[in-house]
This record gives sequence, structure tokens and C-alpha cells, in this order.
Amino acid sequence: MIFQTLVLNLLHLFNEERTVSAAYHLLRGKRSGQTIQDVGIFRLHEYFGVLPKLNRNQFDEQINQLTEQQYISILPDNRYMMSEFGLTKLKQSNKVTFDGWHYRGNEHLFFARLSLIVQTLSYQRVGNMKFIPIQQNELIQQWVKHFLKGQQYQNGHLQSILLDEIISSLEKSNLEEREMSIMINRLSGVNQPGYTWQQLSMNENLSELDVQLLYIASLHSWLNHLTANEETYPLLNRIAESIRIDIPLTESANQTAQLFKKGYSIEEISMIRKLKTSTIEDHIVELAMNDRKFPYQSFLSDEDIQQVLQAMEDYQTKKLKVLHEVVPNLSYFQLRLVLARGDTMT
Amino acid sequence: MKLEEILYQHFGYRSFRPGQKEVIEQLVEGRDVIALLPTGMGKSLCYQLPGYLFNGPVLIISPLLSLMQDQVTQMKQFGEKRVIALNSFLTLQQKQSALNYLDQYRFIFISPEMLLQKQVSERLMKMKLSLIVVDEAHCISQWGFDFRPDYLRIGELFHHENRPPILALSATATNKVLGDIKSYLKMDEPFEYIHSVDRKNIHLSRKYFQHHDDKIEWIVGHVLETEGPGIIYTQSRSKAENISIRLINEGIQAASYHAGKESVDRQFIQQQFIEGSIKWIVATNAFGMGVHKDNVRQIIHHTLPSNIANYMQEIGRAGRDGNDALAILLYEEGDENFAKILATDDLPTDGHIQIYENYRVRQENPFSMCQNGEISETAFRVLDYWMSQESSENVSKILNKMRFEKMDAVDEMMKIVHTEDCMRKVLVHYFGQTLTERPKNCCECCGIQFEDIIEPRKLDEITTANDSWKKRIESILIGN
Repeated sequence: MIFQTLVLNLLHLFNEERTVSAAYHLLRGKRSGQTIQDVGIFRLHEYFGVLPKLNRNQFDEQINQLTEQQYISILPDNRYMMSEFGLTKLKQSNKVTFDGWHYRGNEHLFFARLSLIVQTLSYQRVGNMKFIPIQQNELIQQWVKHFLKGQQYQNGHLQSILLDEIISSLEKSNLEEREMSIMINRLSGVNQPGYTWQQLSMNENLSELDVQLLYIASLHSWLNHLTANEETYPLLNRIAESIRIDIPLTESANQTAQLFKKGYSIEEISMIRKLKTSTIEDHIVELAMNDRKFPYQSFLSDEDIQQVLQAMEDYQTKKLKVLHEVVPNLSYFQLRLVLARGDTMT
Repeated sequence: MKLEEILYQHFGYRSFRPGQKEVIEQLVEGRDVIALLPTGMGKSLCYQLPGYLFNGPVLIISPLLSLMQDQVTQMKQFGEKRVIALNSFLTLQQKQSALNYLDQYRFIFISPEMLLQKQVSERLMKMKLSLIVVDEAHCISQWGFDFRPDYLRIGELFHHENRPPILALSATATNKVLGDIKSYLKMDEPFEYIHSVDRKNIHLSRKYFQHHDDKIEWIVGHVLETEGPGIIYTQSRSKAENISIRLINEGIQAASYHAGKESVDRQFIQQQFIEGSIKWIVATNAFGMGVHKDNVRQIIHHTLPSNIANYMQEIGRAGRDGNDALAILLYEEGDENFAKILATDDLPTDGHIQIYENYRVRQENPFSMCQNGEISETAFRVLDYWMSQESSENVSKILNKMRFEKMDAVDEMMKIVHTEDCMRKVLVHYFGQTLTERPKNCCECCGIQFEDIIEPRKLDEITTANDSWKKRIESILIGN
């Protein structure tokens, strides 16, 4: 149900102006110009990259179900239409809140570190350091080893400090009881194996994917609370080190940003980086989307912006093609800049 | 120092398990040894203990990368720092530094592929090794079920005058395979320790069925009536999933286990099984390696194993504590056909030979076949070896022969299904040994009473009274 609501909601937010695939790419966090731009245009930050490993079959199956239940209908070229019925359904459903844009799968890294730390401390408490580490990834193992040594875990005080931080932060994270249960049930220790996704799904009477979505959403809320209160939870914040992405740019866009800040023009950057100007334009749009203080004035006058916003209002659309017909004096790039910033420009 | 003292000092055991001491004593004398020890009987101790007796590194050649990694992790956990795995997981830099300090290690694990790299073998030749161990030695024989062509070259590498003794280890080898091991490794009148393959406390049953669905109904009924812990082996992930869900819906604590599950989930299942909150595991053959649970009481084969060696290894996971255990083989007419398809699925075909030829004609590296998904890696290894030795025409003949042999192996397995004499006898004979005595409740042919072997199901207090999350994290971190 959670996944169904999520997909239905995305289709609603895309305003029938994209294909159903756009929702799929968004959930997987595809790093293409189009998807990144859509995030800005339709304000979809929270859903970006929530399910990086979602496979196409699972998604298509959900689309089929939505169609069968007549919440949506599929049009030619993979486009779709929401039904009244679908809209009502959506209004009645509880939506889970994510923060995909700031984590992009890194929440799993945080939890992997945490689960190995918790397991190690649990075994250390009973004086047994011969156990099979729950995380097989060597980078995570090294990170945890380094962390524990830095915290002088051997004197045995770390357990209770970590416990206090976990309990008090979770209690203030605005999470439901079952959400906290799911997360804690994925941890393990001496004589306390964790629960598999299948087991949790049976306990909660949800599909495995739904349980995982709840888990991801809970991690996002928890991490947001943690990172907003660094002094209160020093230990958990160390574990959450470089998990939250505050300047969320693709590496390539970041390089373009550096040159742009030095005052190079789009054409010059394209020459220096040996990339097409359209690619550089993609980067600039990405930049504008992320940086509230982006100096868009060098590309657009205030009148231009007003004109576009007016057109969006009049025609109730965010489709570039339509907007280009209404405001033909502006280039696609300029239109995209306005869309990327949306209402924040006024 | 006495061997027992070293055993206690380094491994914490007071006494050896059968075979271990005999093998080690011969190695100390400098003699080559072939040891056939069933899984779970402490094979690895046979080379780990000598590591603390000898001066100079012990070289362990092992074909299974994941098993190698497990071994190394385990040894490190037990405090042995001077251990390294040389395999394709290492980066170039790691490999270089490992090679530089190679003589500093006490135990060097290596994959056969790596062993054949010139740089590596030259380095090893310059070192004074104290022992060469060939693990899973049956892989050297094309008659074995798991032929590794690279193994054939080990013997060529270590045949000089004063080489250290060679220890060849295996859990399953027929006489024919034993002969191959001796000759390919160029072993010098080796001492042979052959543990009996017969496990008296494992009682063998089999059931015939008309329909596939009847099998599953029977499993559900049986599991509802009798006590585990048990493992149900089946051939595919989806079957493992379906059967486990069926059991769970009947209120049985079960879980499926296969390579498609994420690694953390697989560990949770293993831990729950060992600790006892899961009673039944429905698994593909991915389950078993590295799982140490002594009190498995039942093994049920939902589908036919593709050969006797596999069957042996899988039922061998029951009754490690020495108490009675039951192995039940379910058979439906035609199962052997599926088993044959599965068994030969991974062999290269004439089509692959043709593709390989094409790469050669175009002067491209045939290994691209793997990368392009045209062939599996195991199949490629076999193909690549033979193509470097023989003409395409001969390779085709060889592969065909292997295909027939794999099918024959299924037919051998069918003897266990069909025999009216004694299942145990067929099993033991297959490995070239003789059956000396039959235990009570020996097998389906000799007569078998389940109630003498296993317990009726105990309806235990189901502990679903889930603790609150706060209690749980508290008890994980600070106990109580």
C-alpha cells in the first residue's frame, strides 16, 4: 500500500506531463539532466533516489495494478492520466515522508555502520570478540574499527552512552512506534539475531517493499533530527559523518560550478571541459536548483521571469514545449532555469 | 612439545578428532598425505596445527574464493595475524605488497589461478615453504564433480627434488578420483587416511510420489508432525520461497535461504537457525558451507541431487552431534530428467566452442565471452583449459563425454532411489568402500521407524511476545 500510494502520488505530482518512466527514474535517483531537472520543476526533492535498487519489473507491476484498479489509465507513448477515482484515493491515503535529496542511499551506509558498532559492542560486553561481522563490506569494517578505537570502546562505557543517544533521539524524531521497531529489529547482538525483511513484513502485515520504504523514511527522519542537533548527539553524529549531502551536485556539475564561479561563460566552460554546451547548460540548471543565491540575472531579466510564470499560470503547465510556444523569445535553457527555480524567483 | 599441548595452546581443544593426529604425524615425518575427511570433521586443523610446528609458511591452494575468505576471517578472529589470501580480490598494489612480504606469513591461501601467474610462482619457488596443502583436491580430477583445470598444473609446479610434503584434502572422492589426485600431484607414496563415508547415526529414508504437489503436501504434513531442526533442500530459489511460505502459513518457524537473499538477511537466518528460533530452513544448495550447527535432526530432499557426492554432503549436515538423524529423499517419476538438465547446464556447448574460435580468429581475448555474458565463468574456465590443449574437434568430444558422465552420475544417484537391497550399501560402495555393519533403522530397504529416530513435534511456546524497541536495544547493548 505504501509503495502504491508513493507511485500514485508521484504520478500526480508529475501532473501528467511526463511518462510513467519519469517516476521510476526519480525513485532510482537517475543522475541524468532530465531527472535532476524534473526534481526542480515539480519540487520532487524528497523522493529522489529513495529506492536506488528498484527493479523495472516491480515498478511496472505497480503501474499495472494502478491501471487495473482504475486509478490511472495508460495512454500511448507510455504517458498516463489520473482518474477522479485515483485522486480521491490519493487524498484518503496516508503518505510517508522521505528526504531522498539529502541522503540518496547514504542512509543505508549509516545503518550499516551503526549495526556493526552495535553488534561489536554487544559482543564486547560479554568479552567475546570472535563473531561473524554482520557487515561483510571491508570499507565499513575498517570505518567501524577506526571509529571504535577513537572512542576507546575497550573501557566499556560506550554501550550506555550510545544507548542513551539512540533512545532519546528516536523519541524526539517524530516517529511511530512501529517505525522505530522496524529499525531496531534490523540490529543484532549476542543471542539476538535480527529479523529478516520477510519476517518483518509478516509481523507488520505489509509487503517487504513497504516495510523497506517505512524503514528508509524513518532513517531519513532520524538522520534529520540527528544532524540538526549535533551537540545533543555527538556519538550518533560521528556515525552519521558525511552521510547527509548538503551540496547535492553531481561530480561533473560541481566542476562546472567551480569554473562558473570564476566567471567563465557557458561557451568557455564547454571549451575548457570539452563538453557540449547543452551539457554545461544542464549543469547550470542543476546549480540554480540547489543554490538559492544563484545569480540567474546574467541569463534572464525580471520581465522574462514574470512572463514565464504568467504563462505557467495561464496554461496550467510545466511543459517546456508549450511554454516555448507561448514565450518564443526565450530559449529552452532560459525556460528551464525559470522552471528550476519555480516560485522562488519572485 | 607434544601435539596435544600445541592443540590446546593454539586451538583450545584437549583432544584430536578422528584422523587429525594420524595425518599430522605423517606430515611431521615429511611424508605426503591424502586425507579423506567428511565436512565438519576438522579438515583445516590438519594444516593449521603444523603451521605452528614448522619453520616456514604453509601454502594452501583452495579453489573456492568465498570459502577462502571465510577461512582467513575466521583465523584472524582467532588471533592469527600472519595469514593472507592471494586471490583476484586484491588490488594490484595490495598484491605487490603481499608478494614483497610473503615469507613473513605463516599461512598463505592462494587460488589456483593466482598460483599460475609467473610473478607469483617465481616468488613462491624462491621461498622455503614448509607444507603444500591442496584443499578440495577432487577438483583435480575431471571425474570429480567439480573439475578445475588449473589444478592440473599444480603438480607441474611442485615436482622438484626437495619440495616440502604435500597434503591433499577432500571430503568426497571415489577411488578413481583418488588415483587421479596421486598421479597429477606427483605424490610420493602418500600416506592415505580414508575416513569411512558412512555416518551410522544418519538414517536413510525415501518416499515415492505421483505428483509434484503431493510432495509438498507430504512435507507440510511431516513437518507438522515431527520435530526439527531440519533443512529442506530444493533446486530453485522460487521453490524454496514457495515451500517456506507454505510452512510459515501453517504456523511453522521456517525461512527460505538462497543466493538471492541480501547478505544481512542470510546471516539473520543462520543465526536464528543456530539459536533455535527458526526450526526449518528451505534452501537451495547455497546453504551449508560454513554453517556450524550440531543438532540438525532432519534433512529432506524435495528434489533429486545431481550426484551421490552432493547427496552425501547435504545429508552430512545432519547429526553432527552424533545423535540420531533422519534423511528423507523424495522422488517423483521423471525427477532424474530435471536433475540431468541441471547437472549439465553449466557445461560449455558446441556453440560456445564456435564463439571461442571466432574470438581467436578475430585475435580478441576469448575471456570477453564472460564479460559479454555469453558463458558463465565456471564454464569458461573448463572451455579455456581444453581449448588451450586440444583441437576444437577434440574439445567437443571431451565435453560430450563430460556431459554423459554427469548424466551417468544422476543415474548412479538413481540407484539409491531404486535399490531394494540397502540404500546405505549403495552409498558406501559408490565411494569404493565396503559396508561393515548396518545400524538399527538403517534405511528404507532394511526397515526404518521414524519414531525411533526423531521426536514428535513439540508445540513450543511461540515467543512472538515481541519486546518493545526500547527493551530490545537495551538488552542488545547493555544486557538484561
